[in-house]
Amino acid sequence: MSFIRSKNKNLIYPGLLWFFIFFLLPLSVILIYAVTTRNLFSGEPLEFTFKNFAVIFQKKHYLIILLRSLKISFLTTIFSIIFSYPVAYYLAKRTRFDKALIVVLMIPFWINYLIRTFAWKLILSENGVLNQFLLWLKVIDEPVRILYSQTSVLLGLIYMYTPMMVLPLYASLLRIDDSLIEASLDLGASRIRAFFDITFKLSLTGIFAGTLLVFIPALGSFAIPAILGGTDSVMIGNIIENQFSRVGNWNFGSAFTVALAILSIVLVLFYSKIFGLESIYKNRGNI
Amino acid sequence: MKNKKSAILTIYTALFFLYIFIPIILIFIFAWNSGEGYSFPLKGFTWRWFAELASDRLAKEAIRNSIIIALSSATISTVLAILLSIGLLKGPARRTGVFLTLLILPVLMPSLAIGIAALVFFRTINIPLGIPIVIVSHVSISMSYVFLILMGRIEGMPLDLQEASVDLGATWFSSVKDIIFPILIPAIIAGWLFAFMISWNEFIITYFLIGGNTTLPVYIFSQLRFGISPKVNVISVLVTLFTLSVIAILLASRKIYNKILMKERG
Repeated sequence: MSFIRSKNKNLIYPGLLWFFIFFLLPLSVILIYAVTTRNLFSGEPLEFTFKNFAVIFQKKHYLIILLRSLKISFLTTIFSIIFSYPVAYYLAKRTRFDKALIVVLMIPFWINYLIRTFAWKLILSENGVLNQFLLWLKVIDEPVRILYSQTSVLLGLIYMYTPMMVLPLYASLLRIDDSLIEASLDLGASRIRAFFDITFKLSLTGIFAGTLLVFIPALGSFAIPAILGGTDSVMIGNIIENQFSRVGNWNFGSAFTVALAILSIVLVLFYSKIFGLESIYKNRGNI
Repeated sequence: MKNKKSAILTIYTALFFLYIFIPIILIFIFAWNSGEGYSFPLKGFTWRWFAELASDRLAKEAIRNSIIIALSSATISTVLAILLSIGLLKGPARRTGVFLTLLILPVLMPSLAIGIAALVFFRTINIPLGIPIVIVSHVSISMSYVFLILMGRIEGMPLDLQEASVDLGATWFSSVKDIIFPILIPAIIAGWLFAFMISWNEFIITYFLIGGNTTLPVYIFSQLRFGISPKVNVISVLVTLFTLSVIAILLASRKIYNKILMKERG
């Protein structure tokens, strides 16, 4: 009954058309801006150039920001793995209430992230909750300045994206057959060795899927550094925003944006090459 | 030995959940605190900030715009995603992988890149910024999420059901309407609510495309930049309570639907 399949197929066109016109076409347009010098449709002849990209690497100022963004996003990812691993392990192996706890874990995810970032401002400011608490404990004598630094941006990003790491990690740990670990223990492996040789290795899919969900949005963040950061914590996102809302150099701004988009696409392709695309879908957890 | 280890893990997990919720708890506390600043000890209980918000015209306009955008984008994206999921997963299996790779891009690409691309695109073809193009761009993203949710449901559904109904004399249209559609309903409800929440919380894309208008997240962002009034806490409390009720409805509707299904099956 292949006629049913071929009739069903026609249903893809409205969505596909929407996707091409309003998603892929805009991406192609900024790609054109990124490799040309003038405004598109301004009537002037277009000139092909890589100059916009070269500026990113030539100007020290931009290179520093690019490297800093990569560093901050990398650290965010590492800390999110460390913080979320025990939680994911507990949810997958040590409790029967895992489904309910994951629903609870997702609640803050639905509360506007600007609001949660604002809460961090309350916690980290000079007379904020953290400082008052430490003063009260007498750990410190005078308030520490944390807000408006790279540390506060990093703390904000870790807070925001760690739950995104828990989900795929939990999903990958859940699939591990406990009898594998028992067998290795029976064969004389220590608990530590069994953990690293079996559990950890088999959870790598989850770690990589989580890395996509943490690293990419962290790299593209602009509201968190804008709210929690200072002059030493400007990230790529802030540069891009600045180009479009103030400076108005669309060609250069587009080059930066395209670089960000390409980097994320490369990461996704790299991941799907190793683990297969289906595992992204499988590891998406409970969304 | 094992129990001790489990205890440490349990405590750690409890602390982790506390860490995730502390910012939200603080926001709630300061929404009713009568002092201007954000410090302990608390000054006293007040409804003042609620009253101030109620008289803030811009905030109310922002809430109204956010609702309009979320309702329309969720509805459009759900319709498109339903058609897309049936066509792609119950159609001929050729090139499905390519489409799946493309459709996951809006989920995995930074919103900043999507927002900038939309801004440049609409300005280039001379379409003015504002609510309509925010809706259009929200649909491009939420369509993929709804598709992912529907996919989970539709993959497990065998094509035989649809084939059997056609064998028994149903038209193709009614086989989709009366067989596939009802099976998808729980996923459609979940997908629509998900799309609504994505749009409701979306800030970055909206920020670039909204032009002279405002939405709730854009309003909150502007408030955060120009000093912090406890009014922002009140908005947060209201938004949080709204979100929690949406989640509750989602969970309840799933339970009720399953119950009805159980009853029908006897």
